[in-house]
Amino acid sequence: MSIPPIGAVGPVGPVLGSVTATTGSAPTGGGGFAASLAGAVDDLQQLQSTSNQLAVQAVTGSLDDIHSATIAATRAQVTLEVAAALRNKGVDAFNEIMRMQA
Amino acid sequence: MTFDAIGIAGTALTVHRKWLDAVADNLANVNNASPTSGPAFQARYVEAQAGAGTSGVYVAGIREGDATGRLVYEPDNPIADAEGYVRYPDIDMSEQMGSLIMAQRGYQANAQVVDRARTMYESALQIGRSS
Repeated sequence: MSIPPIGAVGPVGPVLGSVTATTGSAPTGGGGFAASLAGAVDDLQQLQSTSNQLAVQAVTGSLDDIHSATIAATRAQVTLEVAAALRNKGVDAFNEIMRMQA
Repeated sequence: MTFDAIGIAGTALTVHRKWLDAVADNLANVNNASPTSGPAFQARYVEAQAGAGTSGVYVAGIREGDATGRLVYEPDNPIADAEGYVRYPDIDMSEQMGSLIMAQRGYQANAQVVDRARTMYESALQIGRSS
């Protein structure tokens, strides 16, 4: 798993310019977020199965490096937290939008 | 380019583990007497090499020390030659103990890197979290 570094936050542009840019672009739909989340879940599944394999090797004594098991577990844990944060953000956004009709 | 801190520290942990294994082997064989007709036990040295880009460190190979060793006069030893000499490995015990400490400390430092990287990634997830 590689977590890319987060770039510096750019300066906030003029409000009028950003508004005109937003109105000019077509709506993209929810496919991007769904695909991102599905990809993250796939990665997570892969990491967790690796972690499980290494844990089994550790307890059966066929593991050379103890740290490879703990590192795999750490990676799986961090990735799970990232996926959970992504999902929570998505659900929050959905709930916020659903509250708009009231 | 991404910097996979956990993965990089993992390669360093492997290198230090192998270094520890090499030191353990050297210390285990430090008192091996061998006949002068053959070679002495050769100390094992881990050759570390930086990975391409920022991919950590790897063991390029295991180098072996001097096979000549040092000749010790032990006429009572059953494997001594006609002049009464046997061959002992040319391993400096204090040097090996120093390497042992370096391997242990290096391993600990890289384990700390893994731990700190995890803490940093977790704090990144706290950004913008209201509750």
